[in-house]
Amino acid sequence: MTGFATRKVVRKVKKLTSMLHRESGIECCEEPTKYLFIGNAGLTTGLQRECLVPHFTKYGIVDDVVMIPVPTVENKDWHNGPPGSVVLENFVNETEEEILLHCIDWGTSDSGQHLKHRRVIHYGYEFQYHNNNINKDEPLKDKIPEECSVLFDRLKQMGYITSCPDQLTINQYLPGQGIPPHIDTHSACEGTILSLSLGSSVIMEFKHRDGQSMSLLLPQRSMLIMSGEARYAWSHGITPRKTDIMPCPGGGLSVQNRGVRTSFTFRWTRKDKCICSYHLECDSYNEKESSEQNDAGATELEKLHVHKVYEDIAEHFSETRHKPWPNVLDFVQSFPKGSVLVDVGCGNGKYFGQNKDIYEIGCDSSWNLSSLCKDRGFQVFTCNCLALPLRNDSADACISIAVIHHLANENRRLKAVQEIVRVLRQEGMALIYVWAKNQEYNNKKSSYLKQNWHNRKSKCNKTNAHEPPVVNAEEEKSQTEKYSKFSESSSFSLPLHTNRTQFLHKDVLVPWKLKPQSQKLQTAEVRTFYRYYHVFEKQELEDLCLREKNVELVKSFYDQGNWCVIIKKK
Amino acid sequence: MVFRCAVHNMKLLTHNMLTSKCMKGVTVGYPLGIVAKDIKVSETEFNSEFVSRIIPKLDWNALWKAADSIGHSGDLPQQLMEDYENNEEFLKKVHHVLLEVEIINGELVCPESGRKFPISQGIPNMLLNEDEL
Repeated sequence: MTGFATRKVVRKVKKLTSMLHRESGIECCEEPTKYLFIGNAGLTTGLQRECLVPHFTKYGIVDDVVMIPVPTVENKDWHNGPPGSVVLENFVNETEEEILLHCIDWGTSDSGQHLKHRRVIHYGYEFQYHNNNINKDEPLKDKIPEECSVLFDRLKQMGYITSCPDQLTINQYLPGQGIPPHIDTHSACEGTILSLSLGSSVIMEFKHRDGQSMSLLLPQRSMLIMSGEARYAWSHGITPRKTDIMPCPGGGLSVQNRGVRTSFTFRWTRKDKCICSYHLECDSYNEKESSEQNDAGATELEKLHVHKVYEDIAEHFSETRHKPWPNVLDFVQSFPKGSVLVDVGCGNGKYFGQNKDIYEIGCDSSWNLSSLCKDRGFQVFTCNCLALPLRNDSADACISIAVIHHLANENRRLKAVQEIVRVLRQEGMALIYVWAKNQEYNNKKSSYLKQNWHNRKSKCNKTNAHEPPVVNAEEEKSQTEKYSKFSESSSFSLPLHTNRTQFLHKDVLVPWKLKPQSQKLQTAEVRTFYRYYHVFEKQELEDLCLREKNVELVKSFYDQGNWCVIIKKK
Repeated sequence: MVFRCAVHNMKLLTHNMLTSKCMKGVTVGYPLGIVAKDIKVSETEFNSEFVSRIIPKLDWNALWKAADSIGHSGDLPQQLMEDYENNEEFLKKVHHVLLEVEIINGELVCPESGRKFPISQGIPNMLLNEDEL
């Protein structure tokens, strides 16, 4: 070894031994003793216990191999999942496993498809991953294969079920593939979900909204039953990786390579609304509950969770408004010289200055944002979009991008459209964008969703209009959906949305984490603000606009997680 | 529009579009009176076609009254002349009044209720109170 190499090794050894001492109190010494410390090799580097033992027994008798416990895996119990979960080991034998794996016809089945992350096939009904719901309107030609009935008979005998499921999703995971944490939509299927693991074991991760997490070992050929709380209130997912840290039969931990795992997930489609007691995660419950705020409630909700928030986050929000969206630009640039364009909810004037031939006026309820708009050289005034202080028939063009989804009942959203139409000249056109409930359309995820999962760690220069860039990837990772009531005087029981995931409800509060530097407060704490959104379903925006009598629908489209319309005043 | 200076306050073209009709109890609410505390006169690029296309969209009377009330009507005629499209002189005067006279601070006043809407830093505040909606 050269001098340089020795110095490097010495440095590394020093670093590792001091880390060992720091974490466990164990001191290393120069002379050999009967204890040997192997540094920089463990579970996270993929070193398997099975490799170590034969390697060292060449030199003598190995009494024991002890893994220094790593805080995150210490005290972990892989054998128990959330309440309502049961793992039935050795549920099928090897022959039965073979038969089941062979009954899958990936090629020709009705809805076989190849998702980016894993292979999926459905029987009975299609389970839709973009909203974790079942498409009950279009039953599939292929029902659950006959080969599966042995499983149901067995479960019936054991007393776990009394009827047979009618929906099956088969997922095949190659090592490195996984599935993001999700809760199957309550109204989609009943309280029991079965999952048979074939081909390989895996660790399944469960998370509860209050922050608790559990890891559950699903051995090969085991049947997992998720019911009650485990089904309704805990999300389940599989981390995309090639190995899992698992308990060894003889005690201790080890790293297991994953094989190809094929899971059979059986569900009972639900014919009625869900009546569980896990209200916070329940779409049926929330559909009922978040029916229409009355105007007084809506005003209060918007005051607290729209107007006040934008005032507080204005600077940071403005900093994150980057490239104007092409479709909006096209619209703005299509107007001839001398046109008057009004931007309702203009924010910092993001869409102004793109067409030198037109006169642009912006309005926003936020003084701070309006101020930023004015500083950029544009005409602006503050007002509420429900009462535009503009003359009838005075604008040739109007845009309202990501605004009316902040209005807390349908009447108000309609009123906003009516105001826009009133202000438009005859034959004038408006472009309206609202956030869509479905963030994945035509199998393509919106840029809002794409920031999740693998893309999180990479720097995201492109920011969705509704999102701040990720402040701290690790912090975001541990964020779970929390629920809380706001303000004693009002009772806004709204679900809190988890950023960069699919929407589970139509009326939500969406967090915005404010960068410490932008805050006017002295503390360096990251403050979270919650903005109210009513996310739109397909068709909803069109229908809303067409309720106004002199409106003609010119164009209707989906753009990066938004439903959009261009309307004309007749 | 191409503006030479970076920041612009409320222009009279903008004022021409504003109304307080959205307020409860107000029938017309137009034109809004102007109380100007600070006025700025800027210089902006003149485009005759732009001005001639804007003119039909204006309430001419309201424009003249507004300009006059703040002492900046110049020699802008009180009546809109015919055939203005080809009158460069005239268009330049209109351009000046529409785009080069700005209110930095002051008030807009509802002609029916007298309600005052402040203009600060060139931004009119037209937010209504709950009882005015």
